[in-house]
Amino acid sequence: MNQPKPPNGYQSRTRTNIIRLFYWNGAWGAATALMAFGPKFLWSLVFTLLAVGLDVAVGVGMILANKKYIAELDELQRKVQLNSMGITLGVALIAGVPLSVMDAYHVIPVHADIAYLLILMTLTFAVSNLYGTRRYR
Amino acid sequence: MKNRLKVLRAERDWTQAQLADALDVSRQTINAIETGKFDPSLPLAFRAARLFGMRIEEIFQDEDRGSFSSP
Repeated sequence: MNQPKPPNGYQSRTRTNIIRLFYWNGAWGAATALMAFGPKFLWSLVFTLLAVGLDVAVGVGMILANKKYIAELDELQRKVQLNSMGITLGVALIAGVPLSVMDAYHVIPVHADIAYLLILMTLTFAVSNLYGTRRYR
Repeated sequence: MKNRLKVLRAERDWTQAQLADALDVSRQTINAIETGKFDPSLPLAFRAARLFGMRIEEIFQDEDRGSFSSP
């Protein structure tokens, strides 16, 4: 069989980028947990500020890993990712701003915690990404 | 946009995965192009044309106008 010669491995490159992104996400989660829970148990203001600095630094690494992952996707996969990001940003804005306003004017009985917004964004991204992937299958 | 990617691939007895590797894209992208769900960019169309040793308009055709014919 006359097979075409691959110029380089798209699949292996993408797999490497996903693994790198996974580690950076895990590191950011750990740094965020350290920043959030560390001061409750152990630390002084100095350690808290160091934990915040570490969280921001690891967060920058996570953003760069995500940027590299998106940049090295092929055009269809990139389109699916960017559509999902756009929908997630829109949902976060149209849900986050009213939620914050309702909290400020005591319309809702609960505090509009940032965690609610993060959960909503995660779910929105997962659903829209799944929809986009299945749409082009 | 119509295309002959599936026919050209079948003529060479290539799988979608092999074509995807050769064009440096995912297999899902090849499938989406073959089924007409996704139109490739110009650089990807050029890569496909180079791979098959054909002109772009011999592989991809505008559905409204058919293939472009030079004057």
